[in-house]
Amino acid sequence: MNSVVLEVKNLTKKFGNFTAVDNISFSMEEGEILGFLGPNGAGKTTTIQMLLGVLTPTSGSISYFGKELLLHREEILEKISFSSTYTNLPWYLTVRENLTSLSYLYDIENRKQRVEKLVETFHLEKLINKSIGQLSAGQITRVNIAKAFLNSPKILLLDEPTASLDPDVASYIREFLLTEKEKFHISIVFTSHNMTEVEELCDRVVFINHGRIIANDTPDKLTRSIEISHIELIVKQKKEALLSFCTKEKLPHQTIGKYVVRIDVKERQIPEFLRQIMEKGIIYDEISIDKPTLEDYFLEMSGKNNI
Amino acid sequence: MKLHRIQGIVLQKLYSFRHSYDKISDAFYWPLLDLLLWGLTSNYIIQTSPSSGRIVVIIISGIVFWIIFWRAQYEISIGLLDELWNKNLVNIFVTPLKFSEWVAAWLIMGIVKGFMSFTFAAILAFVLYKMSIFMYGFAMLPFMLVLLLSGWWIGFIIAGIIMRSGSKVQTLAWSMPWIFAPFSAIYYPVSILPHWAQYVSTLLPMSYVFEGMRKVIATGEIDWSKVAIALGLNIIYLTLSLLFVRKSFEKVLQKGVSKLY
Repeated sequence: MNSVVLEVKNLTKKFGNFTAVDNISFSMEEGEILGFLGPNGAGKTTTIQMLLGVLTPTSGSISYFGKELLLHREEILEKISFSSTYTNLPWYLTVRENLTSLSYLYDIENRKQRVEKLVETFHLEKLINKSIGQLSAGQITRVNIAKAFLNSPKILLLDEPTASLDPDVASYIREFLLTEKEKFHISIVFTSHNMTEVEELCDRVVFINHGRIIANDTPDKLTRSIEISHIELIVKQKKEALLSFCTKEKLPHQTIGKYVVRIDVKERQIPEFLRQIMEKGIIYDEISIDKPTLEDYFLEMSGKNNI
Repeated sequence: MKLHRIQGIVLQKLYSFRHSYDKISDAFYWPLLDLLLWGLTSNYIIQTSPSSGRIVVIIISGIVFWIIFWRAQYEISIGLLDELWNKNLVNIFVTPLKFSEWVAAWLIMGIVKGFMSFTFAAILAFVLYKMSIFMYGFAMLPFMLVLLLSGWWIGFIIAGIIMRSGSKVQTLAWSMPWIFAPFSAIYYPVSILPHWAQYVSTLLPMSYVFEGMRKVIATGEIDWSKVAIALGLNIIYLTLSLLFVRKSFEKVLQKGVSKLY
């Protein structure tokens, strides 16, 4: 069993009468990628800020590598790092100047070499002498992720790191994260609104809403807890009959284009559903059945919690 | 404290200085304008009233020395605002950087840029008015150091207020030092101030510096009692202002560093 590198116990943050984070506890093991999910305003960013030491908790404790963050801040922050699409780097400074000056904030042996290595890894060669203000949102995100690897962290906290990236670059970053995890056993706390990405990357997901943890499990187990599957039928004849049947049976459905009907049906009721529409003489030309995804879980849990 | 971390912040500020026309003009344009305007005015006074004697020396010295005070406070308050404008505070405080190291970098930048602007103004004073700030040798040095300390504590007070209220009170960075100017007796003796204002002057270390500076110009002698009083007041104010800025930063951590704009 891997060792626990991050342990959060009874963490609470109140702003006046408002409780942003309400008594949450979770842990992360070495080499684990932990998805931290929740709708906007759920308390994710507040939690991440407390994990980084830039927001003081009202109560509770945060320990990295068995040491309290409050008491060993300097030592811990030397080993962890952070990247977010939503934080800026100084606008006037070039990419090289930003990476160089930030590299001095860590105890790195050969700073110049480290910066050059990151430039190569993240393909920043053409951007290196441009100021941050001249870069596109995607390029800034890439620089931000490179910045997070300056100190060769043991733990990474990534707040929507691939938002605003082109799909090919996002895919490259995901692969890079997985390789780093395999090679160096780094642990990652990962927030994203891209559920496919979370399913692909994360070993475990902590779902938070209204400041409370409402689920903490593997993406697979969470999706299995959802019963609804999506059936897509291509129906060229009797489409109207199919739609009225769905309405009568109170099955959520939608029409996509001219012939495609997408229906949400509980997984165990699929055979019965198909039998019933056959009886009504509705013939489909093609069928595809999608199993529940993490996105379905997210939508269901968010809905249950009255967003 | 780790030197490399202070170096990192200093480096960031130097890079920023290199790219920002605002900061370059703050360092050179305003001192140039002050010296031209006030130097020519005092030259005119001498021409119309030859008995005015050392008025040029007094006014030019006042301007050049005020630059030290102004730059020291400005570097702290604008340094903080710069981080807020760039939304860069989270980036630097998720690193092992300590608050004390961040403050140390401000102080170093105050010295570096103060020296830069002071040297520029001193050369300009010599070129334009044939007046050497260094004609009194090292006699002015203690006053320069005391002014640096004064700039620091005012800078810390402004930084503390900005930390508590955000950049909506950013105008303090430009306006607050000038509140102290009339009481600091930069160009005139404290004795010409109204009685109540003289009382305020006695509480400000800067007034002892400029009074002392005029004495050096008049007699060539340093009044060490003035240096001592100014130094004592500065130590008290600096200690209190450091406590204030530290407490203000703790308040920032309560609200969240990313909430400070």
